[in-house]
Amino acid sequence: MDKSPIISMKNISKTFGGFVQALRNVSLDVYAGEVVVIIGPSGSGKSTLLRCINHLETADTGEIWVDGIHLTHKSTDINKIRAEVGMVFQQFNLFPHKTALENVMLAQQVVRKRDRSEAERVARIQLEKVGIPEKADVYPAKLSGGQQQRVAIARALAMNPKIMLFDEPTSALDPEMIKEVLDVMLDLAKEGMTMVVVTHEMGFARAAADRVVFMDEGRKIEETTPVALFENPEHERLKLFLSKIL
Amino acid sequence: MVSSERSSNQLIKQIGQRFSRRGWLLAFFLLDLLIIYGIFNNDKLIDAWNFVIRGIGVTIQITIWAFVFALIIGLITAFGRISKNVLIYNVATFYVEIFRGLPLLVIILIFAFVVTPAIVDWIAQSPFDDVVQVIFGANPETISTTALRTRDIDSVWRIMLAFALTYGAFMSEVFRAGIESIGHGQMEAARSLGMTYVQAMRFIILPQAVRNVLPALANNFVFLLKDTSLASVVAVPEISQLTRQYSSNNFRYPEGLLVLSFIYANLTIVLSTIANYLEISLQAEKREG
Repeated sequence: MDKSPIISMKNISKTFGGFVQALRNVSLDVYAGEVVVIIGPSGSGKSTLLRCINHLETADTGEIWVDGIHLTHKSTDINKIRAEVGMVFQQFNLFPHKTALENVMLAQQVVRKRDRSEAERVARIQLEKVGIPEKADVYPAKLSGGQQQRVAIARALAMNPKIMLFDEPTSALDPEMIKEVLDVMLDLAKEGMTMVVVTHEMGFARAAADRVVFMDEGRKIEETTPVALFENPEHERLKLFLSKIL
Repeated sequence: MVSSERSSNQLIKQIGQRFSRRGWLLAFFLLDLLIIYGIFNNDKLIDAWNFVIRGIGVTIQITIWAFVFALIIGLITAFGRISKNVLIYNVATFYVEIFRGLPLLVIILIFAFVVTPAIVDWIAQSPFDDVVQVIFGANPETISTTALRTRDIDSVWRIMLAFALTYGAFMSEVFRAGIESIGHGQMEAARSLGMTYVQAMRFIILPQAVRNVLPALANNFVFLLKDTSLASVVAVPEISQLTRQYSSNNFRYPEGLLVLSFIYANLTIVLSTIANYLEISLQAEKREG
């Protein structure tokens, strides 16, 4: 590719509490419009890698560039970058004291400085997009897990991010609600959103991923197309992993 | 017929259950009526009532002002207690431990006899002397010839800081617990949307934390109201001080103390009932979501 990557991570290492080596010398480039899926056993560092991209975790060593901005540099205004990078969490993390609509509006008003009516207009469009416009005035506790996660996606999208990060978005959901969330994510991928997704949903990886990264024990073991990864896995560890989950 | 009979039985049962837990309140209410009847029909009690009730304004004044200051001090200190800055954390913790460790009575004595006179002396020699004198009601035409004295300061304000700082220390722990009760995911979600730490606190964490600690704050208000009786040791004219004065002047301890207890119990039981109601409605809200 001749373009420069929108996310560029070079030689990232990260240790928790001085003992647990979460990331060992991981490098990853993501180009605009790409969907990259990260898979691997739990504790392999995939969530940590994802959280480094919007600086919820700080890398001990290595460099991270997002949208041309040096993230690991001290003088960088981290909040500006975070506004451009949407994140969806395993536990949804909706704001329980605000309605679905208010959840989607708040950051637009506070961070993007949009006025109330504009924020509400955008919020309603996004709730429509994730398929639950009728739940606008409902509080999160009254929503199902799938609905909550879709509101969380709308909340991130309302900021018009250039990149979307998904940290096991379906892992906390009842089986019958997984599809409604994956469908929203597939639509997003089709629209050309740059996405980095940590997931155990191999179906999604097959259907939407441009590249799949397999991680184990803090290392990037394999990085390839989904077809090559599933049909022709190279490493023993990956074969073992796939044999257990497929 | 049968079903309506059953439902009316159920209703009686429900009402019965409800009132069986409110028996003490009913007893208290009846006792209240008896005392009110007594106050208006017994010359000694009327006498005691008329003397003591003059202090109610001072009691309420100390309670409300100290509570407002304690809320502000408590909130600021709570942020110090969760701060990652080592200096700020240790300063905040030092303050909390000292004021929680000393008896309130001792703190009141210290403020009345040591701290306030020291502050007054300092002000008297400072350029603010004239301004402070005017604030505490001195005649503007003579202030240039006089200096601020401790007795110029209203007795309520001499001990206000003792209450505000003591309860500030208690309430900082309430606020801290409230903030820490909000899951870490809330802060992460807010920060991931580009909010600053301060914005996340203001719009996401604090609204939830304060709701969670409302009952605890209400309880602190009740404790503070009762503790204002300690101000009587430094002759602040609140209801306990007036009762002591009335009773020892007339050798009427039963009358004075009955009236005093009547006033405190009515204030605190009304307030605790409100606090209880707050707690129950918050719990119900959490269940329903």
